[in-house]
Amino acid sequence: MNTIYDENEKKHSQMIKNLKELPQIKAPENFDYNLMTRIRNKNFSSFEEERKHFSWGKFLAPSAIVVTAIILFFIFLPPSQEINNSILVQPQRVDSQSIVGSSNVIKKENANLSQRSNSPAAPASEAAIPKTRTRLPINNPRAISLDDYISGGNINQKEIERGNVVKSGNEPAEFDEFFVTEKPDQKTLEKYRAKIDSIKKAQMRADSLKRMRKMP
Amino acid sequence: MNKQLTESKDEELIKEFQDNNTLEAYEILVKRYKDPLMNFVYRFVGDRDVCTDIVQDTMIKFYLNKNSYRSFAKFSTWIYTIAANLAKNELKRRRRRTIFSISNSDDEKTPQIEDKMFLAPDRSADGEIKNEIIQRALMKVKPVYREVVILRDIQDLSYEEISDITGLAIGTVKSRINRGRTQLQKLLKHIYRD
Repeated sequence: MNTIYDENEKKHSQMIKNLKELPQIKAPENFDYNLMTRIRNKNFSSFEEERKHFSWGKFLAPSAIVVTAIILFFIFLPPSQEINNSILVQPQRVDSQSIVGSSNVIKKENANLSQRSNSPAAPASEAAIPKTRTRLPINNPRAISLDDYISGGNINQKEIERGNVVKSGNEPAEFDEFFVTEKPDQKTLEKYRAKIDSIKKAQMRADSLKRMRKMP
Repeated sequence: MNKQLTESKDEELIKEFQDNNTLEAYEILVKRYKDPLMNFVYRFVGDRDVCTDIVQDTMIKFYLNKNSYRSFAKFSTWIYTIAANLAKNELKRRRRRTIFSISNSDDEKTPQIEDKMFLAPDRSADGEIKNEIIQRALMKVKPVYREVVILRDIQDLSYEEISDITGLAIGTVKSRINRGRTQLQKLLKHIYRD
């Protein structure tokens, strides 16, 4: 390793010689006098200036402002989750017509899907169509009557745990929304009752027919 | 001046100055080191007035911070370190000024290497001009290399001393000297032909 440096010295020998021969620069004659005068008069202005250049106050003041601004930013800025909070949004008016309407839409969609599955080009088209999950306005099993929940009159009180209402973490909350209890109009009620009665009657007839067939 | 003090070693003088605040010891050290430091700083900065100020500041710093010297180190390396740091700060300040100033007054101060083509052969042989050319070329060498080349080839310090002054490992010092010399040789190719 040293030989490399020795070779280098040999290579630059002429230049090194010239560098050594450069004239020696000497201090001016009044150098000592000026220096001692500065020391006696305690004239250390250049060093005081240097000290002024860097002071902790100068350094800390802007950094304190920046830190305060960051803290305030985190305190007062509402998190993005809260912006889209469905509770803060005015509740959607839910009425029986919308439920009926939405159930009709589902029926139509199911009919379309069954038609597609029967057609020969179904597998290809199925892959092309993204699977969408239709959502009812109210997720009945998880939905909570807000009035009942508050008054404690809910029958399924045990099922409604706190975790169902408010859920933390990254998982999407299972709780969908509160619904507002509204008294449905009389006509709609009668319509639904009639439907239920006809279904029950049909079921009873079907049962009686089955029994008849079984009888010897 | 006290004859005993004049014949004392640097380390003895600084100890005397530290222990008894003897101004005479300080003055002797200033006398011993003002010229070598002037030479070193001038070759590094390339401006005589600035160089005088830096050496003055070095001596003031030595006066103010005498207790920061520790007896296990050589006094010469300690004072060279102070001077080198101040000289580097001056270069940094200049660079900052060059960046931020609209009218670049430092351009006038930037040494330019004379081209051999513009020099008559008799002038080129002239020692004074050669020295000027070498100084200007030195100013073109990167400061990290320039510092070690000056300390080694002009100030004649050992690798160990340079290592103490710069705080670099001896291997790094050697390689930097090597690179510095190569850079300088390239800049002075019209003077030195391989």
